[in-house]
Amino acid sequence: MTPELLVVKDLSTTFDTPAGPLAAVGNVSFDLNQNETLGIVGESGSGKTVLSRTVMGLQPRTNVTVTGSVLLNGFEVVGASDVEKQKIWGLQVAMIFQDPMTSLNPVMRIGKQIDEILRVRLGMDRSAAKARAIELLELVGIPSPAERYSDFPGQLSGGMRQRVVIATALAGSPQLLLADEPTTGLDVTIQAQILNLLDEIKERMKMSVVLVTHDLGVVATRTSRLIVMYAGRIVEMGSTREVFANHRMPYTRALLDGSPKVSNPSHTRLLAIPGRPPNLLNLPPGCSFAPRCSFATDRCRQERPELQPASAPGHSFACWNPLPTSRGATS
Amino acid sequence: MSSSYFVNELVEESTTQVTPERKKKLGILFWICVSWLLLNLLGAILANVLPLQNPLFQNYSVINAGPSLHHLFGTDDLGRDIFSRIVYGSRVSIEVSLGSLLIGFGIGAPLGMLAAYRRGKFDSLLTTFMYTFLAFPAIIATIAVLSFWTPRSLLKIIIVVGIASIPLVYRVIRTATMNIATKDYVIAAKVQGATDWRIMVKELLPNVLPIGVSFLLIGIATVITLEGSLAFLGLSVNPPTPSWGNMINESRTILQQNPWLAIFPSLALCLFLLCLNFIGDRLRSHFEVTEGNL
Repeated sequence: MTPELLVVKDLSTTFDTPAGPLAAVGNVSFDLNQNETLGIVGESGSGKTVLSRTVMGLQPRTNVTVTGSVLLNGFEVVGASDVEKQKIWGLQVAMIFQDPMTSLNPVMRIGKQIDEILRVRLGMDRSAAKARAIELLELVGIPSPAERYSDFPGQLSGGMRQRVVIATALAGSPQLLLADEPTTGLDVTIQAQILNLLDEIKERMKMSVVLVTHDLGVVATRTSRLIVMYAGRIVEMGSTREVFANHRMPYTRALLDGSPKVSNPSHTRLLAIPGRPPNLLNLPPGCSFAPRCSFATDRCRQERPELQPASAPGHSFACWNPLPTSRGATS
Repeated sequence: MSSSYFVNELVEESTTQVTPERKKKLGILFWICVSWLLLNLLGAILANVLPLQNPLFQNYSVINAGPSLHHLFGTDDLGRDIFSRIVYGSRVSIEVSLGSLLIGFGIGAPLGMLAAYRRGKFDSLLTTFMYTFLAFPAIIATIAVLSFWTPRSLLKIIIVVGIASIPLVYRVIRTATMNIATKDYVIAAKVQGATDWRIMVKELLPNVLPIGVSFLLIGIATVITLEGSLAFLGLSVNPPTPSWGNMINESRTILQQNPWLAIFPSLALCLFLLCLNFIGDRLRSHFEVTEGNL
């Protein structure tokens, strides 16, 4: 049993808005082992990005309250000052952003953006840092890295830029990599390349990866465990295989029905989830998904279901009327 | 024959377009403006060395003369050479503009960047203060201060105009920085463990710089106009020291006898400002397009 790298307990992120408190992330608990890939899926606005940023310790300076605990390698992220967090940022935890078009400084050569961290944080001298930066560029699959070293971001395509972004994130050899929708801004063909690259690097550098996405196809084969979020809360979590095969929460089913499958005959209509995600300022008292759920009962609308364990170890879900599993077990 | 000509032309065209090093041209007018400013600057610096007539020497045998070979722009009502007074006068304008913008940018720009990056209470307090300052028209505020702060000297004018320009610089730099501070690459640098200081210098400053530079050029023009207005009201440097503004002021009384006295300093002022504005505008659009391409 490998020790846990990341332990998140009862984490809530609440924004103080003029209209009242808005719980973008509510009572989330999960953990992550070393060299494991965890997927976080959910619709837009389900709190995935806020969750990953909170885990990172990135919040706006004002109007936000974070409670709970994020223990990263024994370091408590919640409540730590920026100066304290600067010690782990880059070296223990790094982040890849959604849009490679905006996550590189347009007026700085890409090589410089990579070797900044090497020189400032790892104390390498100029030539050693340059050599290592070129090595990293090669690692992320950039052709003729020594020449690309002095290119500006504007001279590279989107896929190449995302590779550079990954290289900058890897520069400090972090143990945890948070990838916040790393492929949303890219073409489908490039998406697969980037995801395979992340996988390969994760194995090579023995990192753990948190993959945040709204695309179930992305997480299906690349993650070992999966968290499904809705309205800022975890509604189902478990091993990826278990969640795909024996999901109990109707929302997970709806998400799966909403993504195309190769086994379907052509021109099969995708099932869209009716309605919209709830307004986080004005959550219904019961299950947040109840207004859109076809299985909802009065109990669902009155009482909020808590996460409960399912039959498979590590699998849990929050639902009063869980779907039957393929094994025929009830809750 | 004709087809090969076309092919050649096409090839040439495509190669010039593909070359990534080829920069977008700034245009001939831009360079004319730059050389004009440099010429003015050079004249101001080298005024003592150049074979100019003494700008203070009063030659009563030629008063209110029109342009001639001996007095290129003519003479004023005291027989002083206008050309040499314009060259010496540019010193005051340039000194006041550079000096006060050094104060304006030296204080306004770092504060603006800091406020935009840190936000929170610091930002709201400072911004409220600066905007309150902005509510007073600069000309009235400077007139008020300069009327009481006597005897006047160049340094005092620089300080007063400089302080008056701080909120203007602050506003422009703060807005520009705010736009950049929310970009992902700034957050990316932060989560790589970059210190605030490093983010300001390496990430924010290079991206704010083009806007800062073009505002600086437009700012110089504004400050020169302000100095001109103050001089026209007799609140700038004391006569007989020439400045473009007080030369225009002096010409007012004898406009009918000697219109040249008004025309030349006004022309010098106008051309200088026009060039500054044009360059600033040109640079801004030049950098803006580059940013859009990225």
